[in-house]
Amino acid sequence: MNHGPLIAAGAFVSLACSWAALVMAPQVQLGSLAPAPIPNTSDVHPANRPGLAAQGAEVYRSLGCYQCHTRQVRQDALLYGARLVDRGSNASTINLELPGSGRTNLVNFNLLIALAKSRADLGITPVAVPAVLAADTNVAPVLKEFAAELKLLKQFDNKAQIVRSTSKTVNDLAATLPVEVLERTGPDEAERAVKLINDAGGKAELVIYNLGPDIERGWGARRSVARDFVNDSPVLLGSLRAGPDLACLGSRAPEKFAAPWKFASTNLASEMEQRLLIHLYNPRLVAPASTCPSAKYLFATKQPEQRFAGEPLQVPGSDKPVYPRHDARALVAYLLDQRLDVGLPEAPVTKPSVPAKIAAAPAKP
Amino acid sequence: MTAPQTSPPAACATAPSAVAAEASCRLPVLFFAFSSATWLLFGAVLALLSSIQLYQPTFMEGCPWVTYGRLRPAAVNSLVYGFALQAAFGLALWLIARLGRVELTNPLGLFIAGKFWNLAVTVGVIGILAGDATGFDLLEFPLYAALPLFASYACIGAWALITLKARTERTLYVSLWFVLASLLWFPWILSSAQGLLLGWRVPGVVQAIVAGWFGNNLLQVVLIGMALAVMFYFVPKVVARPLHSQSLAQNGFWLLLLIGGWTGLSQLSAVPAWIPAVSGAANVLLVVPVVVLTYNLYRTADGGIAEAWKRSGVFRFVTVAVVLLLLVTLRNAVFGIGPGARYTQFTYFAGARTDIMVLGVFGLAALGALHYIVPRLTVAQDELPSEGLVDLAFWASVVGVVSVAIGYSFAGLTQAAVGAMADRNFLGEAVTGVAGHLKLVTFGYGAIGIGALAFLVNFALALRRCCAACCGGVR
Repeated sequence: MNHGPLIAAGAFVSLACSWAALVMAPQVQLGSLAPAPIPNTSDVHPANRPGLAAQGAEVYRSLGCYQCHTRQVRQDALLYGARLVDRGSNASTINLELPGSGRTNLVNFNLLIALAKSRADLGITPVAVPAVLAADTNVAPVLKEFAAELKLLKQFDNKAQIVRSTSKTVNDLAATLPVEVLERTGPDEAERAVKLINDAGGKAELVIYNLGPDIERGWGARRSVARDFVNDSPVLLGSLRAGPDLACLGSRAPEKFAAPWKFASTNLASEMEQRLLIHLYNPRLVAPASTCPSAKYLFATKQPEQRFAGEPLQVPGSDKPVYPRHDARALVAYLLDQRLDVGLPEAPVTKPSVPAKIAAAPAKP
Repeated sequence: MTAPQTSPPAACATAPSAVAAEASCRLPVLFFAFSSATWLLFGAVLALLSSIQLYQPTFMEGCPWVTYGRLRPAAVNSLVYGFALQAAFGLALWLIARLGRVELTNPLGLFIAGKFWNLAVTVGVIGILAGDATGFDLLEFPLYAALPLFASYACIGAWALITLKARTERTLYVSLWFVLASLLWFPWILSSAQGLLLGWRVPGVVQAIVAGWFGNNLLQVVLIGMALAVMFYFVPKVVARPLHSQSLAQNGFWLLLLIGGWTGLSQLSAVPAWIPAVSGAANVLLVVPVVVLTYNLYRTADGGIAEAWKRSGVFRFVTVAVVLLLLVTLRNAVFGIGPGARYTQFTYFAGARTDIMVLGVFGLAALGALHYIVPRLTVAQDELPSEGLVDLAFWASVVGVVSVAIGYSFAGLTQAAVGAMADRNFLGEAVTGVAGHLKLVTFGYGAIGIGALAFLVNFALALRRCCAACCGGVR
């Protein structure tokens, strides 16, 4: 160890190893990452920022907002579920109402079996079919098949020592649509349920559960991934949450803000913009406990020349309007551009469950 | 004996005396010592002001130049580039001259390069305050400051290496391994990071990864390496014993270089999961070299610690720095991998690592060393003129560093607990609820500033005595 060049060479090799692993390898892996198309649209995510928002990114960097705010939503777990959206109709679907009564009460017998196979905890009750119907030449084979399937299911249950509930049944489950057949399970189980239901003529979709405190807080529908930042330069991820995460500010629900609120009118975008401008002007007007510094210097108190003026901002508690400068508008445009509601191949999302519609005529056992 | 003093006098007839070697250091090393302490004071004041803004948002509100988002990076970069790296250059030059028994090559050139370095740091800090920060942690200086910075380092580093090459004491003592590694490591990481981030602009989150890699290497290898160089020089020297084991030091050195460059990225979230995982594993592995190195120092001093603590101001600084190094490495090992890293991610707890390493481990070791070097170069004594100010500088710095570390850590743990539970009030508990801890941080920065001020006053006293001695001689 008395030779300087030896130590220099050793240091170079050590550094080269760490460089290859933590600089070159990420570049090889992520360097060619491109925005991903959003299914069923011609858009991509992340989209190129419009000019004003791109200028806002510079304001965000310049004022050092990234010192207190991260733009990285984390999640703890990714779980799956299956949602039944349509019972469907096929050869095994029978109208339980008497012909000529004018009413319909369709029961898809295959679907009931499929649901019972997906949910081992729920019972299944044989469907009471009016005697008149049971004799029908179309219905009789279906009922026979159903009975055979039930028998097979019973045998399987006994073998696998599955005890099904008697109070809760799949018949009840299928009564309202849409309904979560499986919630928060592994991908294999959920996919099997979806396949069983679809094979039975029903219609099911895979549900994705992104779980974690960040997502529960409404800071984003999913975790942030590398692809979300391919259009950013510099990439301002942030490393400290002295304030809330901003990764999804533009698509966040109003009740999920640090100071929750409700839209007063229906003009959503401009109202959100107004609110963010007031927050920039004085954060304490929006959230009294906020420790965010005010950016009053982004606002003019005197009306600027008409063609630069833009809409004046009415600040609560003051009768004089202020005029947001270009930088303020740009910063707000940038913040509103933050979204995480779009699924990516590596970070999928599903649409939130729509409130249950009242089914036309629930299948009564 | 492997202690720094060794050198068979007959071995090199041309070797300059220790006095001549030190005399050649006077101009550049004193300049680096003075300006680094000044930047420490300045950086501590900026950090203090910005920490007040965390719980008192109306403090210095309304001017974009001093908003938290600019003040904080200005403070951190002043501390890292103004104080830490500059102190490191001074220490490196002095250690090379002293241990290599050689006169510095081109002291005037080093002084001028140092001037340019200071100019570049000043321009960079003003650039950050003006809003030109690049947005990358520890690399916030805009390009117009970063390039001169690199150019002036190229001169400093080159002359330091030329001096090392010209050494008359051919045995490379442990401290010089660390000095050499740090001197080479720094330009490599700086040029890599600046080239990839400010020049070529790698796409997407690779930028964040490269910036994290740079910042970690700067702290973990360059600054910790320099701190270890100081520790390995002063511990055997003060207790007047040979180093316990050369081979342990060698193993520790190589393991630190091999592992140190991989740590510190476990705080990234929106990146492929293998990166934080690999980095977290390195955080744990790093315990091995650090324990090996500190154990070596402990065995060297064992038995003489209490006596040396009483007798030597330098030893006190260095001892606390060694303890902090061990603690911060263990802290990283526990909270730098897996669930621990995730729990403290995005909190003050994780961010405090920079403060503890720059101000605590490196800062205390460097301040201690300067307390030994400055009097030797000015008044040719081992102690600065005012003993009271030495004590003040020591206790203020230690209390300051410990307050900052504890304040940030507890604030961070509070934040982490709130962050892990979605039903807890983020604004009320994690933002305004940590004000008490952050006040401790403010106090800590104040104390560090007082420590720096005490050193500067002592420095000025020594200079005055030096000048008086010179002028008295003329008369």
